[in-house]
Amino acid sequence: MRQLAAALAAIVLLSLCALAVGRSPIELLRILANGSIGSRFAIEGTLLKSVPLLLTGLSVALAFRAGVWNIGGEGQFITGAIAALAAARFGVVPAILASMLAGALWASIATAMRLWRNAPEVLTTILLNFTAIHLLGWCVNGPLQERGAQYPQTDLAGAALPVAGELHAGVLLALAASVAAWFLLYRTAEGLRLRATGLNARAATWAGINVNAQLVRAMAISGGLAGLAGGIELLGTTHRLFERFAAGYGYSGIAVALLAQLHPLATIASAMFFGALSTGAGELQRTAGISSNIAVFGQAVVILLLILFGSWRSRD
Amino acid sequence: MINVILHALPIAIVASTPLLLAVEGELVVQRAGMINLGIEGMLLVAAMTGVIGQQLTHSVAAGFAAAVLGALVVAALFGIFAIRYRADQIVTGTAVNLLALGATGFVYQALRGGELFFVPPMTEWVQRLVVLLGWIVFPIALALLLWMTRFGLRLRASGENPEVLERVAFYRWSALAIEALLAGMGGAFLSLALSSGFAENMTAGRGFIALSIVIFGRWKLRGAIVGTALFGIAAALQYTLQAMNIGLPFHLLLALPYVLTLLILCGIAGRVRAPESLGRN
Amino acid sequence: MLSLQRITKRFGDNVAVDDVTLELRRGEILALVGENGAGKTTLMRIAAGELDAGGGTITRDGEIGIVHQHFLLVSDFTIAENLALQRAWSFASPRTLEREAEACIRTTGIRLEGVSRRVESLSVGEKSKLELIKAIAKNPRVLILDEPTSVLTPNESAELFAVMRTLASEGTAVVFISHKLPEVLEIADRIVVMRRGRIVAETTAHGMTPADLANAMVEKGVAPPPRRGESRGGEILAIVGVAGNGQTELAERYRNEHPDAGLIPEDRTRDGIVEGMSIAENLALKSKHWHPREAATAAQAQIARYSIRATGPSQDAGSLSGGNQQKVILARELERKPKKILAAEPTRGLDIEATSFVHAQLRAAADDGASIVLITSDLDEAFALADAIQVIYRGKLSARLTPAEAQERVGALMAGIA
Repeated sequence: MRQLAAALAAIVLLSLCALAVGRSPIELLRILANGSIGSRFAIEGTLLKSVPLLLTGLSVALAFRAGVWNIGGEGQFITGAIAALAAARFGVVPAILASMLAGALWASIATAMRLWRNAPEVLTTILLNFTAIHLLGWCVNGPLQERGAQYPQTDLAGAALPVAGELHAGVLLALAASVAAWFLLYRTAEGLRLRATGLNARAATWAGINVNAQLVRAMAISGGLAGLAGGIELLGTTHRLFERFAAGYGYSGIAVALLAQLHPLATIASAMFFGALSTGAGELQRTAGISSNIAVFGQAVVILLLILFGSWRSRD
Repeated sequence: MINVILHALPIAIVASTPLLLAVEGELVVQRAGMINLGIEGMLLVAAMTGVIGQQLTHSVAAGFAAAVLGALVVAALFGIFAIRYRADQIVTGTAVNLLALGATGFVYQALRGGELFFVPPMTEWVQRLVVLLGWIVFPIALALLLWMTRFGLRLRASGENPEVLERVAFYRWSALAIEALLAGMGGAFLSLALSSGFAENMTAGRGFIALSIVIFGRWKLRGAIVGTALFGIAAALQYTLQAMNIGLPFHLLLALPYVLTLLILCGIAGRVRAPESLGRN
Repeated sequence: MLSLQRITKRFGDNVAVDDVTLELRRGEILALVGENGAGKTTLMRIAAGELDAGGGTITRDGEIGIVHQHFLLVSDFTIAENLALQRAWSFASPRTLEREAEACIRTTGIRLEGVSRRVESLSVGEKSKLELIKAIAKNPRVLILDEPTSVLTPNESAELFAVMRTLASEGTAVVFISHKLPEVLEIADRIVVMRRGRIVAETTAHGMTPADLANAMVEKGVAPPPRRGESRGGEILAIVGVAGNGQTELAERYRNEHPDAGLIPEDRTRDGIVEGMSIAENLALKSKHWHPREAATAAQAQIARYSIRATGPSQDAGSLSGGNQQKVILARELERKPKKILAAEPTRGLDIEATSFVHAQLRAAADDGASIVLITSDLDEAFALADAIQVIYRGKLSARLTPAEAQERVGALMAGIA
């Protein structure tokens, strides 16, 4: 299948980057594999990384399916996490809900600007990303900074997700979200109309569909999913906020969604692939000093190959 | 208050020259019917290759040339997908940006050993030259090109009703080349003149701000200059106020350019008329 | 001038042009007539070099100009700029371009003023003239005009015929594609009739009546559709006019004002069908519930009921032919038996069988009590179906007319002469 080909080709191209720094591609591949699935520790790490990727991937997939360019996963991730931190004192469930609400609201700023001022969401969501990053910077250096005020980070969150060994309940939440998204898109009338809006908004209008309502709904759900990703990452993995908290999860979601051809269930496998790439790249940095930027590079190569193969979105 | 603004003006003009060059380049490309999100990546790559070029040859001219070359490579990548393969321009542009980000980060960390990335300050007359080119020479030249030549007429037709032309691809590739030239210079100016070298992700969204200003300026060169100047003054003002100990806390100050751009995009309600075939394959 | 020998052209399974041989002589006006889908436009596009012939040979002696039904103009540019696109020059001010445009227009003998006007502000007739000017300016040996009078008022048509006669007298061969038989008989030296991709008749206008020609164009005598009886519930109001006089805006206004009406949009591929979705999904867009299996069963029933030629409910609706796509839209819209229906150009580009089907469906819906607004530029269709007629000109509607009143006045009203 073309998706598999794109993924494998990207890995191969990546390994060739090793030559640029005077190392063997085979060695690079070995370290990648080791670091991602070579030990129980590695596999757990991969799974943990896949959780936020799955959710940001779902976020992008849903939005793109509705014909809306939500590139704001990064910002929605951050605001979701900030909200989760703030609400953590009330418990884990309120914190999770807060993260979804915050992500949805942050995304809705872009929706509002599109509906009222014709501002293209592809730009506004990106600008909101940068805004959120600096908002986070202000929080962790200012009002939310830890008590000792030593590092730019917050105190530990007041709540945490239940754990089983090294894994946390976020894994289950993410999987549930994936199934829910699939059900929404393919088993409900509203999902049908959302897909129609994304494929041909003019025809959808003539078929009596309120395209603007679809847009608002899609962006809100999309933002909520990305916000949830941030909340889960906080409450399950990092337990505190710091600069560079988002670490590109939002943008990675684009690659995840496209490799999955925008299909919610396929996003699971796609997220695990990029999760593995990410943990593997981390290992590369640690042991071989090869920049972990290679993971970002890899995402881009995958996307470009998918574009070349014409297979970044599936025909329903 | 007037004094503060007047004091900020020259700083604003110089500081927003890379932005203006990006706006001019993207304007040409959008007039030809394409949305190139990848301009952010173009600026970033140009910033890096400009530094590498200058450091290897100790020549500013070589630095600028290398920067333009780097931008051309990025433009070629975008062009192959968007023109030759008629791929979705938003997805392609996003991928190009990620590629640029990953590649520049990779190269930066790989080469960080030496002093490669710290450059001596650019001489004043070169700075003045670039500012002059960006704010006066290029706008006039581009205006003449787009509105007084057959080439420009056909380029604009590619963005309105491409079905009328036979060789749309030629005009779109030309537009990308012009954008690469301008963005290349902008990237080089950013790293060689405004900063002391390259740093990861140093463009910090200037490409996206440029895209917003193109829209705000209604795809006209006059609008591009006014929009960039307004943006630059507003941003510079805040820094000046900061220096006088009024204004936002530091991190929120960093968010200002983006909030400003969001406000700029708010100011374009309804009546905006984009080139008719913008973004269509 | 132009010689087409044994031209054949296939689009997939469809044979659009079937072994056609045609020669054009200096200075003649040739009319190419036939039903929708007969292959006239395809044949001429091959002659002009826009399409490759699948088989056969073409011999051209000089430039061939073709003026399409769909305008190839840049709406945001002025008349002068549009003309300047094709000419040879490098550097010029807008004023120079305007002067050169005026000179060019003068040489063609066509009247078109105000070259600094934007094309989007021109009337449809003026845009048509501009296309003609563009084609003539290239000094072609052969000029092909595809349905040029479909958007012209009678005055403008007369102007066009004068230009055609002048060109012919200067030696240019003019090919005139039309389905308006009286005009064809008035202007043409030679008439060629096409049906299903083949030439079935060739004659001169001498002594022919429109009825003779019509008979040559169709396969068997198609009985005119029975006029509507008295016992109907709803009415059909036909809004007629030359295309481009505000019909699109009228349709959109209607759509916004009557959200639960049955809507059949003018452009079925762009606005009617969601390509990329199956027939079943397209049919279910207005449903409250969605379950794939139930939807497939329901779709199968509708496919049978409306005789939609498809491989099954899961076929991509975008891959259906125009007629079948229209049937899908009809099925979806009429299924819920709406009280109000808007049908915009519902039979445009459809063959006779599909057209009769659509007419029958609309009539049945009206008999069931629905009130239908039919927007059409086909007068025959309007008179066959309508209880009342209004004429639209430059966005304004005339008073309601009975069919009898309309017979007399429609020509004048469509031309804007009150």
